[in-house]
Amino acid sequence: MQTENKSWSFFFVPQSNILEDERQRRFVLTDASVSVSSASPYYRTKLRGLYTTAKADAEAECSILRHALDKIAEIKSLLEERRIAAKMAGVYSDGDPPRKTMRRGVLMTLLQQSAMTLPLWIGKPGESPPPLCGATPASSDYVAKQGDKVAARVKTTDGDEQWILAEVVSYNHGTNKYEVDDIDEEGKERHTLSRRRIIPLPQWKANSETDPEALFSKDQLVLALYPQTTCFYRALIHTPPHRPQDDYSVLFEDTSYADGYSPPLNVAQRYVVACKENKKK
Amino acid sequence: MSDPASQALQPRLPQTQSTGSAGSSTAVAASTGSGQGHSDPARPGLSQQQRASQKKAQVRAFPRAKKLEKLGVFSACKAIDTCKCNGWKNPNPPSAPRMDMQQQAASLSEPCRSCGHALADHVSHLENVSEDEINRLLGMVVDVENLFMSVHKEEDTDTKQVYFYLFKLLRKCILQMSQPVVEGSLGSPPFEKPNIEQGVLNFVQYKFSHLAPKERQTMFELSKMFLLCLNYWKLETPSQYRQRTQKDDGTAYKVDYTRWLCYCHVPQSNDSLPRYETTQVFGRSLLKSIFTVTRRQLLEKFRVEKDKLLPEKRTLILTHFPKFLSMLEEEIYGENSPIWEADFTMPASDGTQLGQTVVSPAAVPGSPALMKGMSSISTLGGMDTAGSEPITGEKRKLPEALTLEDAKRIRVMGDIPMELVNEVMMTITDPAAMLGPETNLLTPNAARDETARLEERRGIIEFHVIGNSLSQKSNKKILMWLVGLQNVFSHQLPRMPKEYITRLVFDPKHKTLALIKDGRVIGGICFRMFPTQGFTEIVFCAVTSNEQVKGYGTHLMNHLKEYHIKHGILYFLTYADEYAIGYFKKQGFSKDIKVPKSRYLGYIKDYEGATLMECELNPRIPYTELSHIIKRQKEIIKKLIERKQSQIRKVYPGLTCFKEGVRQIPVESIPGIRETGWKPSNKEKCKEVKDPDVLYNMLKNLLAQIKTHPDAWPFMEPVKKSEAPDYYEIIRFPIDLKTMTERLKNRYYVTKKLFIADLQRIITNCREYNPPDSEYCKCANTLEKFFYFKLKDGGLIDK
Repeated sequence: MQTENKSWSFFFVPQSNILEDERQRRFVLTDASVSVSSASPYYRTKLRGLYTTAKADAEAECSILRHALDKIAEIKSLLEERRIAAKMAGVYSDGDPPRKTMRRGVLMTLLQQSAMTLPLWIGKPGESPPPLCGATPASSDYVAKQGDKVAARVKTTDGDEQWILAEVVSYNHGTNKYEVDDIDEEGKERHTLSRRRIIPLPQWKANSETDPEALFSKDQLVLALYPQTTCFYRALIHTPPHRPQDDYSVLFEDTSYADGYSPPLNVAQRYVVACKENKKK
Repeated sequence: MSDPASQALQPRLPQTQSTGSAGSSTAVAASTGSGQGHSDPARPGLSQQQRASQKKAQVRAFPRAKKLEKLGVFSACKAIDTCKCNGWKNPNPPSAPRMDMQQQAASLSEPCRSCGHALADHVSHLENVSEDEINRLLGMVVDVENLFMSVHKEEDTDTKQVYFYLFKLLRKCILQMSQPVVEGSLGSPPFEKPNIEQGVLNFVQYKFSHLAPKERQTMFELSKMFLLCLNYWKLETPSQYRQRTQKDDGTAYKVDYTRWLCYCHVPQSNDSLPRYETTQVFGRSLLKSIFTVTRRQLLEKFRVEKDKLLPEKRTLILTHFPKFLSMLEEEIYGENSPIWEADFTMPASDGTQLGQTVVSPAAVPGSPALMKGMSSISTLGGMDTAGSEPITGEKRKLPEALTLEDAKRIRVMGDIPMELVNEVMMTITDPAAMLGPETNLLTPNAARDETARLEERRGIIEFHVIGNSLSQKSNKKILMWLVGLQNVFSHQLPRMPKEYITRLVFDPKHKTLALIKDGRVIGGICFRMFPTQGFTEIVFCAVTSNEQVKGYGTHLMNHLKEYHIKHGILYFLTYADEYAIGYFKKQGFSKDIKVPKSRYLGYIKDYEGATLMECELNPRIPYTELSHIIKRQKEIIKKLIERKQSQIRKVYPGLTCFKEGVRQIPVESIPGIRETGWKPSNKEKCKEVKDPDVLYNMLKNLLAQIKTHPDAWPFMEPVKKSEAPDYYEIIRFPIDLKTMTERLKNRYYVTKKLFIADLQRIITNCREYNPPDSEYCKCANTLEKFFYFKLKDGGLIDK
């Protein structure tokens, strides 16, 4: 995961260079247009040729970068496959002694890492962000894959309902029900839940600079993972992320505070989803 | 001690070859730094100083015309406004510059070699100037000339720069007839308070005031001598310092060094500059930077020159001085030394005050300090000591002595030689070191407090012990933090009434260890110390919810433990509610209470439905570093095992008998196991009594028989300290039959192995402490035979 994170920052660098190049080209264009009327047909043709080459170069560079991003996504999915396989092996082989549960602190760090390494959506010009990018919801017929992280509404032992962070085990198309595992190994519970009790987590970060519409806006009601826990709670967006790597700042509903809301706390894009019910509990 | 100059004149370090009455005091300094820049002409050597003053006297005795000529050399030409010449140059330079006193003074009409205007034009401003002022300027002229030489001879760049700066400064002052003032970012003396002199005198008072007057006087003299030496000591240059300490950043030292050059060192031979004594203008920070090397040089110096010392001084210096310096060293580098408090007074008063101590980030990682406490708790503003000192005053020596000296002395039999450990240490590389900071957090086997420790080291989080005060006006920041703590506690402990929390957090008898992140309180432990009862009550303990599961709670408790060890309290008691029991267990608390009830009853706040828990502290454990140390130890052992494996490498074929249906085989029948040094223990061979009650009754019976044995009398009760004062220093695990009876009652002996181990320890303790032919050992011998016979008889061990 670490190396992957590094590769991301690496690929951002050429990205900005492209923009820089683009700006220079535009500058050339305006510069040229002044004299274009007086330019001879020869220079006009030459200029057009240069533009065409530059455009082709930029497109080539762009496609190389996209290719690299695809590769990263591929590596990531392979890692994920391997992780799921290991998990299955752990579950189904009875011979091995039960794996020691992860210390909570380590789990929290892993969750933070996973939020940090969530890929940033970089669309082509004019392309709108796909479902599951930032605040964009999944399509109505979307089925979360095995291993995907979701917010799951479960009944707790004392009868209350709670949104927990869970991992999809399987989906039964006949009954339209998910089987999910509580992410918290201390819970170690498997739940069978209907699909309306499942909200898939974003699979891309939305870029606040290019796709601000794909982010939740201020004062919007959301479900956000309370820092250092594995539960989602209702919260209001305090400020959306300013830069792609920033977190949301949210106000959790909390009756122990005089105004009913916690002080602003940071939650990563990965762990903020739309809240369906708008009525207050 | 008010007048160090007069001290300096006392011949404290007699030197047979001293050349002048004032010289003896500087003898030590004069020949130090033999390995360093010998070209330094401004060395505070006597001759240098004397030469300068001789020269000045000479110049000042010149006839006025000659004086004017000398000053003219450093005076700007005033013939016409546009003349830029800033010093008259003799058109007929004297062939031998040193002979100038015999030469005739140049005439006032003599033209300048560079601007052509007459000497009179250069010195016109001096016409109505008093003789005293002329002489002052002449003094500066001599000093400028000396500095000029210094600049040329000096090889060290830093020093050279300073000399050059001073040279320019003095030149400017002669031109403008002003007083030299060192300007710039150096600040002005004193640079730190209390100064070294005060600190060292406090040290004498702190450590030796209990001694008899004569011995106290001796220590006082040693301190004077030490201060005197420091005043004439030549500091190492910043580059030497960097080289020695292996620190890249010697900025702080360089600033101190420059100050020392400008205010202390150069003025010794250059009296145009105002002079200050090193020990009066510098404080602990400079002493910290120079003490190690200075001590070494000083002792070496004394050793080499011991024959030159007066006999009575020789004993003083050779026998007491090293010890004196070692003790001083502890206070200089020690973390909580009171001698540097601004308002140090001998600890006597009681009463809680508003105290704030800072727990600073741990020192250099991976340094040799690893085995000692690395995090330091230093006191801010000197407010915390008064309340706590009565406890620490005497007791603090004990644990320190234990950790430092015993660590070397107590070496277990069959222990690995230190060289081997060091060698292995060299080969261990931190696996996280290469992979950037984030990976540290990722390792699933990282210690619980690893992240918190790292964050503290990076300054992300801070720990402060704070409290309210009724007698002193409280610092606003501390009050803000107390409010923050009250908020955190009341949010995290919703079942506690807010008013109750407020009352205790702001109670001056309670203190709180606060965890600060970004200037805000995010957690803390409120506690009340009962020094007279020898325990501390943990009152509230919480970390704000969105900062939990980061190891802060563990790190908080570890800091609290270290704080209490420093203050000589080794027991924590707390009433834990059902949610807190888990936390306290992880922090080493147990429901088994060792503090006698009489000591805490009526002191500690009793809570309905909560469980009393206790934690006993071991003063030898550096708690904040413990998990780190254990991790290192594991690595060392792993490496040692690997080494051993590579030495006796032999691969045996795997065991096949289990496949054939065998369920169990004796351990010793595993091929190769004996070669590793494993020995079968005869106790394990006989089968364990399964039923705990059967075992209990057997052991009870056996113990009763042993207690009635005629030779059991020395072992009936714990050894009294009054009878054998050093017993508990020698015997680390004392045990006796009474204690064993209690343990039996408490169902401690869940296996016979534990019981036999305690019995055997009675015997081995006795043999360790007493001579073999003593009565006690004879008793031990017969008793040992007796109980082994009984053990066999009872079928508890094989015959």
